Amino acid sequence: MRRTRPLARAIALVVGVGLLVGACAAPAAPAPSASEQPRGGALVFALWQEPESLYPFYATQTVSGLVSDVAVEALIRVDPDGNYLPQLAREVPTLQNGGVKLEGGRMLVTYRLTPDVRWSDGTPFTSADVKFTWQAIMRDPKVVSREGYDKIDEIETPDPVTAVVRYREVYAPYATRFDAIVPKHILENVADVGKSDFVRLPIGTGPFKITEFVAADHITAERNPNYRIKDRPLLDKIIFKSVPSREVAVAQLKAGEVDGMWLLLEAQVPELEKLPEIKILSVLAARLERLEFNLAKPGNPADPSVPHPVLGDLAMRRALLLATPKQQVIDKLLFGKAKPGNSVIALGWAAPKDVVQESYDPQKARQVLDAAGWTPGADGIRSKGAVRASLRISTTTGDRIREQVEQILIDEWRQIGVELTIRNLPSSVLLGTWSGGSPKARGDFDIAMFASTPGLDPHAHLSLGYQCRNIPQESNRGAGSNHSRFCDPQFDRLVDEAGASVDQETRKQLYARAQRIVNENVVKIWVYNNSRIDAFRANVGGYRGNPWTSAVTWSAEDWFVRR
Amino acid sequence: MDLRGHLECGGLVRAQVALGRYVLRRLIQAVPLLLGISIASFAILRAVPGGPTSVYESNPNITDEDIKRLEHAFGLDQPLPLQYLNWLGQFVTGDWGYSYISHRPVLALIGERLPNTITLMGSVFLTVLVLSLIIGTLTAVKQYSLFDHVVTGATFAFLSTPTFWLGLLLIIVFGLQLRLFPLGGMATLGAPSDIGDRLRHLVLPVATIALVQLGSHVRYLRASMLETINQDYMRTARAKGLGEHIVIARHALKNAAIPYVTVIALDLPELFVGALVTEQIFGWPGMGRLFWDSATRSDYPILMGILAVSSTLIVLANLLADVVYGYLDPRIRFG
Repeated sequence: MRRTRPLARAIALVVGVGLLVGACAAPAAPAPSASEQPRGGALVFALWQEPESLYPFYATQTVSGLVSDVAVEALIRVDPDGNYLPQLAREVPTLQNGGVKLEGGRMLVTYRLTPDVRWSDGTPFTSADVKFTWQAIMRDPKVVSREGYDKIDEIETPDPVTAVVRYREVYAPYATRFDAIVPKHILENVADVGKSDFVRLPIGTGPFKITEFVAADHITAERNPNYRIKDRPLLDKIIFKSVPSREVAVAQLKAGEVDGMWLLLEAQVPELEKLPEIKILSVLAARLERLEFNLAKPGNPADPSVPHPVLGDLAMRRALLLATPKQQVIDKLLFGKAKPGNSVIALGWAAPKDVVQESYDPQKARQVLDAAGWTPGADGIRSKGAVRASLRISTTTGDRIREQVEQILIDEWRQIGVELTIRNLPSSVLLGTWSGGSPKARGDFDIAMFASTPGLDPHAHLSLGYQCRNIPQESNRGAGSNHSRFCDPQFDRLVDEAGASVDQETRKQLYARAQRIVNENVVKIWVYNNSRIDAFRANVGGYRGNPWTSAVTWSAEDWFVRR
Repeated sequence: MDLRGHLECGGLVRAQVALGRYVLRRLIQAVPLLLGISIASFAILRAVPGGPTSVYESNPNITDEDIKRLEHAFGLDQPLPLQYLNWLGQFVTGDWGYSYISHRPVLALIGERLPNTITLMGSVFLTVLVLSLIIGTLTAVKQYSLFDHVVTGATFAFLSTPTFWLGLLLIIVFGLQLRLFPLGGMATLGAPSDIGDRLRHLVLPVATIALVQLGSHVRYLRASMLETINQDYMRTARAKGLGEHIVIARHALKNAAIPYVTVIALDLPELFVGALVTEQIFGWPGMGRLFWDSATRSDYPILMGILAVSSTLIVLANLLADVVYGYLDPRIRFG
């Protein structure tokens, strides 16, 4: 899982207390008036994964962001609806307010910083810290990603509250960068951050400071006395308790040993919903479960110029879409806690409202196959010429829901005359790298089922996943993640054009057209959009879900607990 | 000059020299053995599909260049034999490398988990030792009694129970339903640390491992006791007029325990290795969980560190068992 942090407006459907709250309303947990919020106390929050590192630039797991978010802040953050909000910056720089300037092919982004902010150790926060954050990312070979930061030529700091970032090209997702700022005065003389205490006890400007990190046992975050917002946080302390599994977390939540827990499975919700002492917080997330078709003839590596004998036919792909009962999967396997998928980008400003996939209609599927010349044989399986409509599906082994979806598909697709066999692989193999020999990366598969979570800015996802130049092959040494081997020059043009613009409305239109092309070609079947589900004891309040942050802890300063 | 004393003394010196030579030879033999084990461990780890960078693959913000840069930073772009030699060279000089995931030194990561595992496994060790001596002796002395039958049935039952199932069962019954013990962890969070709270957290995980281990240990001691009880010197001891308790405790148990000591000695490496499954179930922050978490993320430096230490300890424990056995039973000669 990865961190999503990103851009402007989105739909956030939040089920708090079983209450469905619509897009524009601020989704909130039982929110009592300010006067009755109790102050102080400690809250224990269960994590069933171990944060690997609390240094934001080393972390890849959501759970690391979950913990570091209570202490480390960004220049700009994202609200539950997908709007950018200033955090350590005073406003979000845009073309309109003069914060973003285009000079030839270059771009200047000027951040005016919130004055009088202090690090949790009392040192003032200044523009020098912004510049240092960029330097820290670029000088350290162990950071996970330099995306965007490697396009910066220089950062100027004319005064302590102004940072001017000079991008050497137009970089549309600029607002998603600087999603964590680290202190220069602490790290400047640290040769290797990995070997310092900072990876466990990071110093930030946020409402809490991490005071204790006991590996695999617990992490303590205590109130930051230097936090700039008066009367926040409400709690004195949050203790992140390490538990071995979701099941144990649920058991401890029911027993009252913990006050909240992170990320439940849909199947765990019905049992907890019945309990008056537990409240469920569910937010529709950008995570999209998909069936990925290989449009090229499978091989190791696949040659993208040779179409897949079965899936190379658009009529076949369309028929498979028509024979996929998304709603049945959601109702039966996910207890209704999901939404049928419709387009590449499901949530946020770049999610097109009018781009949809055809719904379940097996009768129509048969007609489409008949018309395309796929005729049923004696065993009911269709063929066209010498090609039999027989496909293999691969997903990650051990995932019960995915294995059940496979069973439904075998059954449903057989009824339209398509044979499906299973070849599941461990996730590290299926979703591995080109050099690691992953069959998905190398194109040795028919259909792969997995999930992916596009960020609020869709550019990287659309470009890497769908543009011709990002089809992994020998000539580009396996770069890109266009594993469907989809190639459409018009799509490429639209996405390139959108990436060269910083105007959100223009980009939105271009991305919508590009996504329509993907759907017209039925490159994938968007099965469902997951929800992010957390649970709390009923005496906890103040939390709000946000699909664009690592986790529910983005609202930790408002949490309270009634004892 | 007492000739007899002199002779005995000379014999003792000769025995000590023989023992010293024996230990030395075994230690020298252990070196190629341990090298072989480390090569096998390294090869098996690398043969497992996936790898430390496979977790980055589905992240759109991580480019192929990022992955290549990380692989270079970790030395993963070098040929495998060279990677092994690099690891070995660093390992023997005390630099056990750094975790790929947290970037912390392997020695520090092991160091912070080791006390927890020793607490857990030490408690198991003592519990099993004391209970197996008592129960094992009683079942042998009262062979074919109701007590013997019940214990025999129970030991077979626990022996064949998987720890993950037993652990969950104990959690459900004693943690969730009866609310007698906490469901996991080492101490109640947010509360001041006290010894009673610590002990309460120890009960269920210790019981889980101890019950399964007790099964085999009780069987072992019972068999050994039965053999001893039928020896001629037992009749002699009773004929001397010694009380039954003294006969059992001084003559029977002492002799029966000799082969049992080797079983106990072979348990010693567990103090370091920990309990993979039980630590996982009870959220115990020990070595077993460190190994498990590292294995799921292909964190080779940690896995190699743990495997190297545990294989060394197993080799040493075997040697210790042999040496102790020789001390306790003078009929054994090293040569």
